[in-house]
Amino acid sequence: MKSRRLLWIRRLSQAFFFCLFFVLLVMAQLPKDVSMDYSQTFSVPENAETSRTFASPDIRISQPVALFFQIDPLIWLSSVLSAREWLQGFGWAIAILLTTVFFGRFFCGFICPFGTLHHMAGAVRPALKKKEMMAANQTAGSRRIKYFLLIAILSASAVGLNFAGLFDPISFLFRSLGLAALPSAGIGFHDFFEFLAASDIKILNYLGYGGEALAAPVFGYENKVVPTGWIIGILFLIILFLNRIRPRFWCRTLCPLGALLGLCFRLPVLRLKKKADKCTHCGRCVQTCQGAASPEPGTIWQPDECLMCFNCTTGCPENALAFSFKTGDARKQKTDMGRRALIGGMVAGVSLPLLGRLDGRSDRHPSPSLIRPPGSLPEPEFLDRCQRCGLCMKVCPTNAIQPALSAAGMAGFWTPVLVMSLGYCEYSCTLCTSVCPTGAIRLLSMREKIETPIRIGSAYIDRGRCLPWNGNAPCIVCEEHCPTSPKAIYFKEDVITRKGSEPIPVQLPFVDLSRCVGCGICENKCPVKGKPAIRTISAGESRSLDNQILL
Amino acid sequence: MIDHPITRRESLQKIGKISAGITLSAGLFGPVTKVLANVAASKDKPGAAWMVEGVGEQPGYCVKTLTRKMFDAAGGMGKFVSKGDVVVLKPNISWAQAPHLAVTTNPEVMIAVIELCQEAGAKKVRIADNTIHDAGRCFSVTGAAGAAEKTGADLVHPRSSMMKKINLHGHRLDVWPVFTPFVEADKIINIPVAKVHGLSVLTLGMKNWIGGVGGRRSALHQDIHQSIVDLAQFFRPHLTLIDATRILTANGPSGGNVADVKILNRLILSNDPVAADTRAAEFFGKTPEEVGFIALGNKWGLGSSDLDQMRRQSVVL
Repeated sequence: MKSRRLLWIRRLSQAFFFCLFFVLLVMAQLPKDVSMDYSQTFSVPENAETSRTFASPDIRISQPVALFFQIDPLIWLSSVLSAREWLQGFGWAIAILLTTVFFGRFFCGFICPFGTLHHMAGAVRPALKKKEMMAANQTAGSRRIKYFLLIAILSASAVGLNFAGLFDPISFLFRSLGLAALPSAGIGFHDFFEFLAASDIKILNYLGYGGEALAAPVFGYENKVVPTGWIIGILFLIILFLNRIRPRFWCRTLCPLGALLGLCFRLPVLRLKKKADKCTHCGRCVQTCQGAASPEPGTIWQPDECLMCFNCTTGCPENALAFSFKTGDARKQKTDMGRRALIGGMVAGVSLPLLGRLDGRSDRHPSPSLIRPPGSLPEPEFLDRCQRCGLCMKVCPTNAIQPALSAAGMAGFWTPVLVMSLGYCEYSCTLCTSVCPTGAIRLLSMREKIETPIRIGSAYIDRGRCLPWNGNAPCIVCEEHCPTSPKAIYFKEDVITRKGSEPIPVQLPFVDLSRCVGCGICENKCPVKGKPAIRTISAGESRSLDNQILL
Repeated sequence: MIDHPITRRESLQKIGKISAGITLSAGLFGPVTKVLANVAASKDKPGAAWMVEGVGEQPGYCVKTLTRKMFDAAGGMGKFVSKGDVVVLKPNISWAQAPHLAVTTNPEVMIAVIELCQEAGAKKVRIADNTIHDAGRCFSVTGAAGAAEKTGADLVHPRSSMMKKINLHGHRLDVWPVFTPFVEADKIINIPVAKVHGLSVLTLGMKNWIGGVGGRRSALHQDIHQSIVDLAQFFRPHLTLIDATRILTANGPSGGNVADVKILNRLILSNDPVAADTRAAEFFGKTPEEVGFIALGNKWGLGSSDLDQMRRQSVVL
């Protein structure tokens, strides 16, 4: 009876945290139609000129969209190790880690939204029959892979490369949903509703408009573009599918956060008590065990693998299993992670950061295409902290921030990079700087961004493609959109004389590098399709001392 | 034959006439007279161009009151907006800049116009602009969202599904994606802001219509003046109200610095888009000949720069 209640508390908790995660994921976007009080912008006395320029406040997301990252002990531990700095806002992560010492992987069973998703994928109408399920739920040697990953991540962090985010379940889920599942679902919904709206039947029309009105706040008014989202999406589908072969495959085999929490379960106060005399070896406990933690009497319970789902105790028809509190001498046996995982993890952890530096991108040879969001820390420190979670990419209102494939080298795989052909960095926007959970992008105000100015790169003109320069037409689009004041693009008047046509007066554009902030709106709006005639590179970015052009 | 590009309204009138003809041949006399009456009523009276200029001389004058008094002087909003109309306002809210930077239309002016339309019995008032910066940010930062919230007007979020390909029948432009609220509107009121522009010299009322279309807009700059006139010819607003409460004198159209802003405290209301632009250009010390699209608008008969020939009034607060 008591156990059944625990089971339902677990289910409710899973549902609550999964919904919370999803709501916060959807909220991670520019808030819709914020009406700002502009009255003070008119009323400030005229002599206070600079304060008048920045009289309007920054737009922020009011919900704590980084919450799940900040309760994630792996993100906290790896970032603290690599940044060698105490990070703000991770109190809950520490609390969860401390609670785990006594109560085990309750995070996996009760909170983790990725775990919940796997749980559902594996347990709803399971594909495996009873015997097969029992075989799949045996404690397997492959569980050690996650310890290998954990050791590799933590030692790499200590050496100077934080790639926890590639495998961290919260980052993995946010990235997969935010950059692949949600945008692609959005495309489907938009198409469907537009199809309805174009119909000749009135009712379908209204359904189309209504659907569009409901879908827009979730998916945005336009389809989001993520050129490499398909890789993230397919990976996500594969990981989900594996639950049909082995329930909670990810949690048992790969999850480094699960490994960390299992390792931390040092003083088990809550323990599974087996009554061997009552057991009839019906196998129900094994059949429903989510963690493959050997719940059956006669086998040794694996506390590091147990996900605290309470399936075994609830399902046991003989009441042979029960979780009970036990204080006092509560030391458990050592975690069986295997020497290979330990040594292999350490070797990988030390060599990966060094291999990652071979390309020289973090120090001597910055990549020209690696334009980081404004407020990004210098590259080495950035890589210490970035969790590749995709939060900045999700919130960017112009769709410019993308997961990097090769721009940032191996070490920077899936870290944020601005792709100006897809979007641009809006001059007065600082939304991405306000959401980064680890401070890889530090908080900027609009005023600081503009007044400093924070540069993310610089623009250059390809005269062979530029319409006035190559004598094809007058055009000033780059200058028109240039947001700095005075503008970083200026003109020289000239006249094109083409054979057999009237002379055309043109304005030849030049980039003033001392004013250019690299926002990329010129590249984004350039009418020259294919390859724009004005392009943006990272040289000139404020965060680097070396990646500069001017003295 | 037709010696000028066909406007949106003319084509609507033609369609009206054709359908009237069809109904007539069907012998349904009752409704027919109604249709014909509507067609006659919707025709502009030729040569009746007028202009009302508002000046706020007192310190701390109310922009909303000034706007209201100008419409009163023009004969009241009821003269232009009928009961049950869908009125679409076209402010310039293309850049995510705070309103005092003179880059976007003063939200107080917007509020005044919306309220007047609502008082005149408009069924719906919509604010529409295909913005350059992210629309959500533009709405918030320019104060348009606030204006919509205060008055209950609809703020139309531009999106590609709302761009319908329409033949503009211009000299330079033919088929372009047009932002549908303007096509579906009963009445259109253009509320631009006056500011400088690197290519077209100024951006006033006629140029504001670049925000009425989608597609490859940045290519329009290759023949900017003709493109502007083609668009202005197509959209042809019922009224133009140019916001020159403060104007941007340098680094336009994006602006961003209060040092470039000049406080003028003026508004121009006219039914003639060319005349309104001509008057606003004077604030920048420009003649119609110096601003290509005004000269072209004159030439194509979109309106007249001859301000002396029209009924002019001014309202001073």
